[in-house]
Amino acid sequence: MRDSILLYINGEAHHIRGEAVFTPLTDYLRYGLQKTGTKVVCAEGDCGACTVLLGRLSGEELSYKPINACIQYVYQLDCTHIVTIEGLKINGLLNPVQESMMTCHGAQCGYCTPGIVVAMCGMFAEKATCNNKQPATRQDIKDTLTGNLCRCTGYDAILEAGTLVKDFPALPTLYPSAGLVAAFKKHQAESVEITAEERVAFVPASIKEATAFKAKHPQASWIAGGTDVSVFCNKRDFEPPVIISLSNIPDIAEIKTEGEYLLVGAKATLTQLEKATRDLYPDFYQMLEYFGAPQIKHAGTLAGNIANGSPIGDTLPFLYVMDAEVALEGVEGSRWVNINNLFLGYRKLDIKPDEMITYVRIPLLKKGETLKLYKVSRRKHLDISTFMAAIRLKRNGDKIEYVNIAYGGVGPVILRLSKAEAFLMKEGFSEEAFQKAGELALLEITPIGDVRGTKDYRLQLAKNILSKFYLDVAEGVPV
Amino acid sequence: MTVLGKNIPHDSARGHVSGESVYIDDIPFAKNELVVDFVGSPVAHGKLKKVDIEKAKETPGVVGVFTADDLNGHEIFGPIIQDEVLLVRDTAEFIGHPVVVIAAENRKALKKAKKAIRIEIQELPPVFTIEEAIAKKQFIGETRTIQRGDLEKGFAEAEHTLEGYFYNDGQEHFYLESQAAIAYPGEHDTLTVQSSTQHPSEVQAVIAELLGLQFNQVVVETRRMGGAFGGKECQATHFAVMAALVAHKTKRPARMCLDVDTDMKVTGKRHAFRNTYKIGFTKAGLITAFETQLYSNGGYANDLSTAVMGRAMCHAENAYYLPNVKITGTVCKTNLPPNTAFRGFGGPQGMLNIESIVQDIAQYLQKDAAEIRRLNFYGIDERNVTPYGETFNNNCLPEIYDQLVKDSDYKNRLSQIDQFNQQSKTCLKGIALTPMKFGISFNTKFLNQASALVNIYLDGTVQVSTGATEMGQGVNTKIQQLVADELCIPLAHVRVMTTSTEKNNNTSATAASSASDLNGAATANACKALRERMTTFAARSFEVSEKEILWNESGIGPKGKQKLFSEFVKLAYLGRVNMGERGFYKTPGLSFDWATGTGNPFLYYTTGCAASEVLIDRFTGELKILRSDLLMDIGKSMNPGIDRGQIVGAFVQGMGWLTTEALKYSEKGELLSHSPTTYKIPNAQDLPEIFNVGWIENNENTVNLRGSKAVGEPPLMLAISVWAAVKHALSFVSGNQPVQLDAPATGEEILMRLTELMAKQPVKTR
Repeated sequence: MRDSILLYINGEAHHIRGEAVFTPLTDYLRYGLQKTGTKVVCAEGDCGACTVLLGRLSGEELSYKPINACIQYVYQLDCTHIVTIEGLKINGLLNPVQESMMTCHGAQCGYCTPGIVVAMCGMFAEKATCNNKQPATRQDIKDTLTGNLCRCTGYDAILEAGTLVKDFPALPTLYPSAGLVAAFKKHQAESVEITAEERVAFVPASIKEATAFKAKHPQASWIAGGTDVSVFCNKRDFEPPVIISLSNIPDIAEIKTEGEYLLVGAKATLTQLEKATRDLYPDFYQMLEYFGAPQIKHAGTLAGNIANGSPIGDTLPFLYVMDAEVALEGVEGSRWVNINNLFLGYRKLDIKPDEMITYVRIPLLKKGETLKLYKVSRRKHLDISTFMAAIRLKRNGDKIEYVNIAYGGVGPVILRLSKAEAFLMKEGFSEEAFQKAGELALLEITPIGDVRGTKDYRLQLAKNILSKFYLDVAEGVPV
Repeated sequence: MTVLGKNIPHDSARGHVSGESVYIDDIPFAKNELVVDFVGSPVAHGKLKKVDIEKAKETPGVVGVFTADDLNGHEIFGPIIQDEVLLVRDTAEFIGHPVVVIAAENRKALKKAKKAIRIEIQELPPVFTIEEAIAKKQFIGETRTIQRGDLEKGFAEAEHTLEGYFYNDGQEHFYLESQAAIAYPGEHDTLTVQSSTQHPSEVQAVIAELLGLQFNQVVVETRRMGGAFGGKECQATHFAVMAALVAHKTKRPARMCLDVDTDMKVTGKRHAFRNTYKIGFTKAGLITAFETQLYSNGGYANDLSTAVMGRAMCHAENAYYLPNVKITGTVCKTNLPPNTAFRGFGGPQGMLNIESIVQDIAQYLQKDAAEIRRLNFYGIDERNVTPYGETFNNNCLPEIYDQLVKDSDYKNRLSQIDQFNQQSKTCLKGIALTPMKFGISFNTKFLNQASALVNIYLDGTVQVSTGATEMGQGVNTKIQQLVADELCIPLAHVRVMTTSTEKNNNTSATAASSASDLNGAATANACKALRERMTTFAARSFEVSEKEILWNESGIGPKGKQKLFSEFVKLAYLGRVNMGERGFYKTPGLSFDWATGTGNPFLYYTTGCAASEVLIDRFTGELKILRSDLLMDIGKSMNPGIDRGQIVGAFVQGMGWLTTEALKYSEKGELLSHSPTTYKIPNAQDLPEIFNVGWIENNENTVNLRGSKAVGEPPLMLAISVWAAVKHALSFVSGNQPVQLDAPATGEEILMRLTELMAKQPVKTR
């Protein structure tokens, strides 16, 4: 059992013990190491000013991804290599992204700039790793910077700067991998337990260790990407007394097709999920594009989105209409639960104290099925939904064989609209039927008004979305 | 070869892109430095009964707990009206209104101590909206009027009239660096304060006044701000004073850096306005009479609200000649944090009001709104006097408009949109081409002054210090270019120093788009005086006449004998020439009298037009901006890269105000949208899909520094084209009835208005 977190920062090893383990990476960088290039603005993963590159073991190499350092606590980062803005000059000179940002006026006040530079460097370094010599397009840069807010430039100069970058190196040319890989492989096999001021962080090396520890400490919080829990810690004074970080468990990080299912490991990131769903569920893939920033998707997980239990969890309506199942593993063994039966009430899940989510399996779309997802939010990209809908339909001409409808954001949990579903089965595929179904939907939901929209707005969306769905799916409707 | 007009990178760009630029909270902690925070009122309006600070004081790590009793000087302050208190003694007037300041050794102790503070308060009925304030006659300052012509006659000449109201909501600045300051105590009760402020002199003054010090005991320095946009013109002060209070009382350095949530909750915003109006016009659409009553939501104290209202009134006609007009402006007092300066400073609200109305006129007459706009433009030689009596000179708007109509293919796209809307069952499109005319200078005459200190060192390098503060807008870079140009030296030999009240005293805020104009002109004056002295010396030492002395990149001296600047400087030093100079500038010819509502408040106008096209989802109200074309007159640009950045940045910021940025409050008056999770500023994906930005050539602007024009605020108001395009899209389902649309046009606002319109009449095409 180790008693310290092994964290490399810009190529230097840090063995971190004690209270520092329970601080966000940004505090450790800024106040611990006086590396103040990494800025904190929102402390909740919504602005990108704190973007750093997170290098994790991937086979015999390290794979680097931009993440939000403000919502990565040190206990999540065992056996990783962090590259900050201070570590991105090349031989003491500005790198090509930095040069281009300077000459194109990509920085004004400069506060968001380190985060933007790091995010862009991450993208170009990955291109170099993949030997992709195509220059980046404006859209590539937009997609890279969805999670980086800038209030001064209006982004245009930044996009231009990105499109002019040439010859960026892969990160292992700046930070040779061999030593890091060896150190991480050696340390990952051994679990870590750290106690400081009556708080405990446990980093198990296997699922077995994890569930056994959870059985002993039922109050413990599971943490994978931490994109929700860390926000609660930063913003709601949440101080979990016992933490189990899944970061070193090797088995559950994959996504693969298995028989009639897509099997998603609990640790697989939303970025992995995005890649895996591009061809299988194009609408879900599209929704993941809006869902969050690259920084969030490189850390967050599908299992986390489920475990959070929010009635506006963006992936949930999709999982509901697909009848996805969740594997729960405890000391006694494992079981599969249909997601439609998992939620007992507002943020209340049917999960036993010792159980952890290990997998999610999603049935593949059958031939002739239509799946549409709708996410309405104040801003299109990177915004929590005001309203969500998922509709899965199988029809034969005007006859509907089956239809599954799930709404999010209009009740304490995700709601399946059984009345509207039954009505449509009876009435068939017509504009009028979907209009009426929209009115029926209002009888099945209980929206409230909040910061993201009034009750009336949600009711109107709930009513309209089925008509919209009809027009989106029906043939011959002019755009 | 001059560096002026060149695309020189921002003078801090190298530090910005490498993370090496230092902001307040990046400064290493001093050995015995304290962290500071405050506890504010839990209610929006209430009488303070008891403040129990004893438990907080006993918390380990806490070094001091302070209340209004600890302020030794004045209790009240304010930039125009003295109506603000730093720490509540009697009546709390908004949620978070500071009551107690706490200083501790570390953040953990601070957090514990905050929880240990007990505030007993007797709630009083709060007022939050403009309507409530009007009903209760709760105002700040007097209602003021600008009028000319004969309204009665104007309405008699009108063939049609429209009347109604218009509402726009406020906007959060969302500077990325929250309010921050560190105060360092010195000997003899002095203080040196690092503050992220647009107005170091005001921070200096308020610290001195509230702590009972002389102004000369306080030095305030501003290296740079991580964004400001008006939000740090007045409201950086409060937190700097809190840090100063702690440093003064404990004799230890004290750091106060707000987190974004607290900052958004307790600092003021762009003003919401609710205006009523009546407008008369001919059947051709020519405006004959306009009467409008502007009401703003000022929050609990004036701050700059009356000045903001003044500017709104001076922009209520925007680009249109109004022969008969009456504009009144009233600031409402409510139980919110004092609303404050924000890029545009009332201009956007004044303009949005009339642009909404012009859109209504067009719909009522079933004409193209752009043509109504063009018809009512100020003339070049006639119809060119504003309602407040200033002549609008160098009017480039007709030229800009005509060119933009062409460049943006406006007319073709308008008819394509018409066709699209007849066919599409799922979407609506809209387009609008709107003008902008923005007056440059502070409305308040005495603020239009600046000083600059230029020091030449013996290696030929130069330091320049002005009262301008750098918030990303590039004022330091322009000043650097100007000095290099004036003294014919390389750009790299000029360094613009940290703004300090020790170098430049009694400065105006960096505001009103005019920092480069004012401080640049003062810098140029200093350089001219230095050149004169050095030329005199050169003539004497080369034994030629002053006329024969050349200044260029080859150096100084008569032809063929020029010495490099760095060498000449050494000679001049030995010749005992004073090579430091303080320049001063005051804008000539300004005047304004609120008693009559007339004068010449502005040195000149910056103008422009924008055309934007939008797409709306009929079922969700979701909005997409398809294309924006911006064309401006910014005179002769001193730095095209910086000016382009100002135009694009301001436009996108304005777009955010008018589309996705929604301030939501609880019934108790607490801001609910207090972080980027809930308050949505535009991100990179929100840029118009097609985005063209440009400016016309204008060599006629001789009144300002080097033929340049101010550019910081004006382009924000080009974003009105986006909002007007939404209104245009909705007009397709509204027949000839004007569309009531609030700003911002969020998805919710659009869908709810669309639903109302559809309920009144089914989809109608024309």
